[in-house]
Amino acid sequence: MSIQSIFVISDDLGALNEICGGVKPMADKVTAIVFGGADTAEQAAACGADRLIYCPLDDAGAPENYAGAIADEVKKTGGAAVLFNNSIRSRCLAGILGVMLDTGVLTSVNELTEQDGQLVYRRMVYGGTAQRHESFSKPYGVATLSGGVFEPVTLPATTDIAPIEGAPAAGIKRVARSEKKEGGTNLVAAKRILDVGRGLAAKEDLEMVRALAKVIGAEVGCSRPVAENNKWLPKANYMGITGVQVKPDFIITLGVSGQVQHIGGINKSKVIISVNKDKAAPIFKNCDFGLVGDIYKIVPALIEKLS
Amino acid sequence: MKIIVCCKIVPNEEEITVLGDRKLDLSAASWKIGQYDLNALESGKQLAAATGGTMTALSVGGPAALDASKIRKDVLSRGPDDLKLVIDGGRDFSDSLQTAKALAGALQEIGQFDVVLCGMGSSDLYQQEVGIQTGALLGLPVLNNVTDIQPAGDGLLRVERTLENEVEVLEVTLPAVLSVSSEINIPAVPAMREIMRAGKKPVEVLSGSDGAETSLTTLSELAPEQQDRRQHVIEGDGEEAIEALVQFLKKECL
Repeated sequence: MSIQSIFVISDDLGALNEICGGVKPMADKVTAIVFGGADTAEQAAACGADRLIYCPLDDAGAPENYAGAIADEVKKTGGAAVLFNNSIRSRCLAGILGVMLDTGVLTSVNELTEQDGQLVYRRMVYGGTAQRHESFSKPYGVATLSGGVFEPVTLPATTDIAPIEGAPAAGIKRVARSEKKEGGTNLVAAKRILDVGRGLAAKEDLEMVRALAKVIGAEVGCSRPVAENNKWLPKANYMGITGVQVKPDFIITLGVSGQVQHIGGINKSKVIISVNKDKAAPIFKNCDFGLVGDIYKIVPALIEKLS
Repeated sequence: MKIIVCCKIVPNEEEITVLGDRKLDLSAASWKIGQYDLNALESGKQLAAATGGTMTALSVGGPAALDASKIRKDVLSRGPDDLKLVIDGGRDFSDSLQTAKALAGALQEIGQFDVVLCGMGSSDLYQQEVGIQTGALLGLPVLNNVTDIQPAGDGLLRVERTLENEVEVLEVTLPAVLSVSSEINIPAVPAMREIMRAGKKPVEVLSGSDGAETSLTTLSELAPEQQDRRQHVIEGDGEEAIEALVQFLKKECL
């Protein structure tokens, strides 16, 4: 028995492909919904959904304004799962749509499976202390899926493509928009990562970490306080349950204590190496190889020995 | 400006015990204000100061979370003029819509307000949806990941919202419900004077509303399987220790 109808809604075409490919075997019918004109729809067709609906956006428009039109489309089914990518906009749209469909929303879902004709969603709770498996008990379910839940597959392109029937509602007035100044690193795809924690004393000392990263070809990420409190690295670079969840071949943690929240972001790494002054730091229970010592002594020595 | 800040009282995740069968024991965990709600309280305090307005804190939850005077005082020491509570032992508040309905009911009971601020997500379940759903239930404008809020004249706020690759500046007509990013500020530690004053501020228990129905069934809740890490830890940062690390890196990683 499979699920009758799944909607996949995404403001990112890469994520659209991944989710459509992953849920195609679980559902009788997969409908993809994207934001943009016919040209966007043409690009999105590679997702391989049975049907593709596009929601045209003008300069002032935002995907969130289509909540009502999308709800009308979903309600034609009488029961469906609506799956989003996990972007900020998608989480906003998901919440509004959930209200229109009278259902709750599960976000940052990290595993989706089909069991006995229903979808089972898994997500982290209590800052990574546990994984909770849940299913919807109402006709409609709404969820956002984290990146990397499914392996990418290639499907035949969608040919049934149409614009959405309803019109967008008036939205919140946008006065200005600009590209984000601070970049971020795509840590999800990184094979080697250096992970900086509060053991780093000053922002300037990041140069030392970057020098080591260059020598071994790694990206630099960090724990939450380094990005949010100190603002030494972009927020996109912090790993943890509420940040990025990474799966590199190896990660070297430098001055990271290893709180549950952070471990939840790095524990899919194949090998974890940790350096920390504090012998009692919980990170040492979660590493493969550890040195209890001073990062200011160890990092320069590594640069020298590995150059 | 009349500001309402929602905050969730959650078990301290650092004090949750994982049992042998990977189930959780929350009985020893103390209650705290959700970490990200501290940002909402701080934003509310700043906005109230900037507009000469008032700030009310609002929390919905079970009696175990909300009955203690210690936690009530903690909330009140962070800027609110008063605290309103919906104490409901019948809901477990693990469904975003169920929680949003309780908050929306409380907001209707409160009546008049200009802006409702929420944190980025609760630090226990972190759905990041309750603020959005609360606003949507009331038919109000909603925004998430707000990184700056400025008064912009009568009945308006100018709000900055930071998305993955862009920053939007939006003009929001009030009343509205905004979820602030944890980047928006660094919450101040309450001063002793504020802690002393907190005990004298009014606390009102609202009557609450119906609609306890949940959309979800929890099938299981287990700690992640402990990954087998080798935990080969060497004490010291001398030549020998560093050389051992270099050898490990060369053999296994590089």
